[in-house]
Amino acid sequence: MPAPLNTPAALNPLTTLAAAVAGAAITTAVSSWAVSLAVALACAALAVRSGVAGRLAPAAAVILAPFWLSLLVMHGLFFPEGRTVLADWGAARVTAEGLRFALDMGARTAAYVMVFLLFSFTVRVPDLVAVMSARRVPPQFGYVLASTLTLAPAISGKLARIRRAQESRGLVLGGGPLRRLAAVRLQMVPLVLSLIEDAGERAQALDARGFNGSRARTSYRDVPDTAAQRAFRAVALLLAAAAVALRLSGQWPQLQGPQLQGFAMLWPLGVPA
Amino acid sequence: MTTVALLEARIEAFSYHGDDADVLHDVDVAAAPGTLTAVLGGSGSGKSTLGRLLAGWLSGGNSGQFRGTLHLRPSALRRDSDRRAAPGDSGPLVFHGTPDDPRINPALWSEHVGFVPQDAAALLSTVGSTVAEELAFGLENRGMDRTLMHAEVLRAADSAGLTALLERDPATLSGGELRRLAVACSAITRPGVLVLDEPLGSLDAAGAASVQAMVRRLLDSGTAVVVLGQAVDELALSATRWLVLDGGTVTAHGTPGELAGSPALLHSGVVLPALADDSPGPRRRTADRHPAPTGPGTENSAPAVLELDRVSFGYPAGKHQTGPGVLGDLSLAVRAGQIVAVTGPNGAGKSTLLRHVNGLLRPLRGAVRIEGKDIAGIPTGRVADRVGLLFQHPRDQLFERTVLREVLFGLDRKSGAAAEAAARAALTAVGLGDQLKAHPHELPASRQRLLALATVLAREPILIALDEPTVGLDRHGLVRLDEALGAAAERGAAVVMVTHEVAYARATAHRVLELRDATLHEV
Repeated sequence: MPAPLNTPAALNPLTTLAAAVAGAAITTAVSSWAVSLAVALACAALAVRSGVAGRLAPAAAVILAPFWLSLLVMHGLFFPEGRTVLADWGAARVTAEGLRFALDMGARTAAYVMVFLLFSFTVRVPDLVAVMSARRVPPQFGYVLASTLTLAPAISGKLARIRRAQESRGLVLGGGPLRRLAAVRLQMVPLVLSLIEDAGERAQALDARGFNGSRARTSYRDVPDTAAQRAFRAVALLLAAAAVALRLSGQWPQLQGPQLQGFAMLWPLGVPA
Repeated sequence: MTTVALLEARIEAFSYHGDDADVLHDVDVAAAPGTLTAVLGGSGSGKSTLGRLLAGWLSGGNSGQFRGTLHLRPSALRRDSDRRAAPGDSGPLVFHGTPDDPRINPALWSEHVGFVPQDAAALLSTVGSTVAEELAFGLENRGMDRTLMHAEVLRAADSAGLTALLERDPATLSGGELRRLAVACSAITRPGVLVLDEPLGSLDAAGAASVQAMVRRLLDSGTAVVVLGQAVDELALSATRWLVLDGGTVTAHGTPGELAGSPALLHSGVVLPALADDSPGPRRRTADRHPAPTGPGTENSAPAVLELDRVSFGYPAGKHQTGPGVLGDLSLAVRAGQIVAVTGPNGAGKSTLLRHVNGLLRPLRGAVRIEGKDIAGIPTGRVADRVGLLFQHPRDQLFERTVLREVLFGLDRKSGAAAEAAARAALTAVGLGDQLKAHPHELPASRQRLLALATVLAREPILIALDEPTVGLDRHGLVRLDEALGAAAERGAAVVMVTHEVAYARATAHRVLELRDATLHEV
């Protein structure tokens, strides 16, 4: 059995990556809002257990809130295929089908976002780079992935420094949303400028430290892996492939009707293949 | 040991793209095994550009136009048993400043010429989550066997004094620890030549000693070390040879004995060791007017501008592993016209202390009062009307497009129509009056520091808080700083600075305290 999920350091990053990919693929294949919500909730529970909920919640909110809002506006109010009209204001009309579509898309996106945020907040980035380079993945790919995962904390650190400097020069934070927005605008230009400048300097330093992929790379870290984790990864990916194949072939009779969606709740990670 | 130079650079001219003026011209540098060469120059003398050229970071037409030669002779290396057999001498690389110029592969070049830039953090990969992993990064890229790599990391950590920090997150290191890590990262592949840009900058005595010991070991193993600096520090004094760089060219070269006190050295902005004690300093000018009180409870009718009243502070566990209490029951009073210096080693909590005076950090217990008023609950942006804070790293403080805009930021709200005049006056005071349109990030480090100082001075705060104000300043810059502090104290501002340079603190401040064991002690 793989190690329990609340100790992510003991898990090989490929195991959590396989779980994330499989979770996302199966959720898409099942295409049921109930399954999507169950997956999102399961991720939230795992985030709480891993102690990353405090960081994950705001990140998820920043991504999901505008998306949900746009779904609601686009499909809730303007859904051409909608037949069951719940409210009508001329051009805009609320239809049951539109709301249902928005709910379906919203729940699926929530599952996606939660799965990958949970992965990125719990994975140990150096381990990921190490296992990737051990599998002959070009180190630049691992670095880009790792940098993407560490970008959010790096940006928030830099923003905090810029904000401290601006506060020390008389910028008063707080007040209404407009004032906050104005403060954010003041921080964006220096943030982008300094990120670009850092990137240039860092690229030269990385080059000088031999990070150009011209040689086979070794790894300082010995990342733990077990037969059980390898088996889990194989099963997870097989399940994901099977679910996607079933969906593509159109052979997915059980979950087409809304009356069977309760059944899906019993199998939050997808129906057994 | 052979005396043939490992690296010889002949720079006829180098200019950055978009800039007609040569940053460097007629500079010859030779680095022979086991020798220490100190390139000394003030701010803007072209030191950092020289370092980057030697390191292969600027050649090949990417960054500028280079005319001259770079000649690497790996065969001149002593063949230590554990050193990889180097390829033979392939002759000098000749650059004409044209697109056909030779291209340097930085990875291969860095195996022979290691470089640590002035901003040491830039050298770190940022993907290593521990000091050990960061050290190993360059070895991983070169495909070193893991067992050997572990041994090399331990060796490098030992020689850099980082053994106790191997499992620390590099992001939590103090400035001095970070620099030692960067030097160790560059030295870990055992290059024949190591170029260090301001290796002692911002280091306390212990940190500087550990870097010096590290350099000494590298020299003993046959490495040629080139140090770029703007101060005649102990490392420079131990150099085999000095080059004085002024206005982009070598104005003098010779042994330290030959050049000490030479007109070329005096003309350059290089900080000389005796200067801190000889300079008039703001203290001498203001001491008569404002006799220095000796303690928080001293009888003095003048109200304290800054009062820290039994302040305690600690970072949340796990974020900064510096112990439970960074500040404990700490009290301090600074009066109008008084200059107080707080010294202490890197990581003692000096910056943490300073961030309390304008509310960037709030005490867990105790009170911070400015002119008798507790600043609890007052936003930092409002406290900033009376308190100016100079950050340790000027780049944290500079975020505008031009020098003038930088000083004007937030000033119009405080000074209204008089803002521009105040900004220009402050820039003139620090010697940047003729560079109003320059981009702050393109200024040399010393002028960035002075610009950051101007942003503080322009607001005419009643309390000026300075975090390591001398770091990165050349002699001309130090004179400007002294003048500015003297003028501020004369108009009645209180000054509190934290610095690891005890000599500077003694020469400048009315009162010198040491932050040790979370509280202040008289020195």
